[in-house]
Amino acid sequence: MELDDYKNTWDEMGEKVEEKQNFNPKILNKMSKSKFNSKLQKIAIPEIIASIICFGSAIYIGFQFNVLNTVLFKFVGVALILLFILLPAISLYSVQQLYKSVDINKSYADTLKEFTVQKMKFYKLQKLNITLSYPLLALLMILVTKLFGKHTNDENAYFMIFGFCFGYVVLLFFSKWVFKKYNRIIRQADDLLNELST
Amino acid sequence: MDKKYAFKTAINKNVGLIFKVSSIYTNNKEDRNDLSQEIIYQLWKSFDSFQQKSSLSTWMYRVAMNVAIQHLKMTKRIVSTVPLNEQFLNFEDIDNSEIEKKWELLKRHIDNLNLLDKGIIILYLDNKNHEEIAHIIGISTSKVGTKLSRIKEKLKKQILKS
Repeated sequence: MELDDYKNTWDEMGEKVEEKQNFNPKILNKMSKSKFNSKLQKIAIPEIIASIICFGSAIYIGFQFNVLNTVLFKFVGVALILLFILLPAISLYSVQQLYKSVDINKSYADTLKEFTVQKMKFYKLQKLNITLSYPLLALLMILVTKLFGKHTNDENAYFMIFGFCFGYVVLLFFSKWVFKKYNRIIRQADDLLNELST
Repeated sequence: MDKKYAFKTAINKNVGLIFKVSSIYTNNKEDRNDLSQEIIYQLWKSFDSFQQKSSLSTWMYRVAMNVAIQHLKMTKRIVSTVPLNEQFLNFEDIDNSEIEKKWELLKRHIDNLNLLDKGIIILYLDNKNHEEIAHIIGISTSKVGTKLSRIKEKLKKQILKS
């Protein structure tokens, strides 16, 4: 395909579409009504479910606080509560930023700039979330053995060692893979921003 | 003239524009149909703000391409709000036409460009002059010229590779 063929295909497609279509404006009213409902659908369901689980866990640890009888366990409990609030807060904030509506009458370059900045911010926050998962996993292992471990200390130790190793290996591979992908996206976004500002 | 009638006439005249922008910024037919609906809805919402300072197609391109960028954030997260059998437009005939193969090839090549280049090449293919491209994109006319030659080079290389 040559560059001229591009133009021909472009024109041909336009003509083809125009000869076949007849716009039906009756749906406009219906769409205006359904748009209102779709605002709720815009909030990402997975993020909400994950946030409920995290907030629920924070509340549970709060209620079990009297069981945590040493300074170390108390510290772990507080740190976990903070992480269980911080992680979904970051996630919900980044999703909410993504859904910020743009002024459609702005220039394309301005919209693109705004979109690229939001995208970079989103992926940086996602990276922060994954990084915070490391201390979360470690603290969680300590607390789980305390709250649910009804076995001897030796068995608790084995559970912790196995859990730590398995969890960290999975997290390590996952974060390595995700970070590689995110870094590429952030780099591309950065290049585009440079291009837009020169 | 009745606003709805004027809008209907405007859309019917530029339905190709809506199809092409929707198609270039999406990867499957479902997303394309969703995007074309969203573009029409946003055009309707801002129809009053069109003050005929620029041509209708220039205004439509600006809105359509901005909505397309907005849609990139939403893809895979939002379900269509209007059932398929009740859409503004029906592209089924086009999907099964002979031109579709050529169109897909063109789309594949354009897809390898970044979003800025994509916007510029769309307008270039639609025979917009440098001033119009600069106006819609929001960059200087000289930058349009420089960018266009680079984009053409990139596309030529892709054509040679394929």
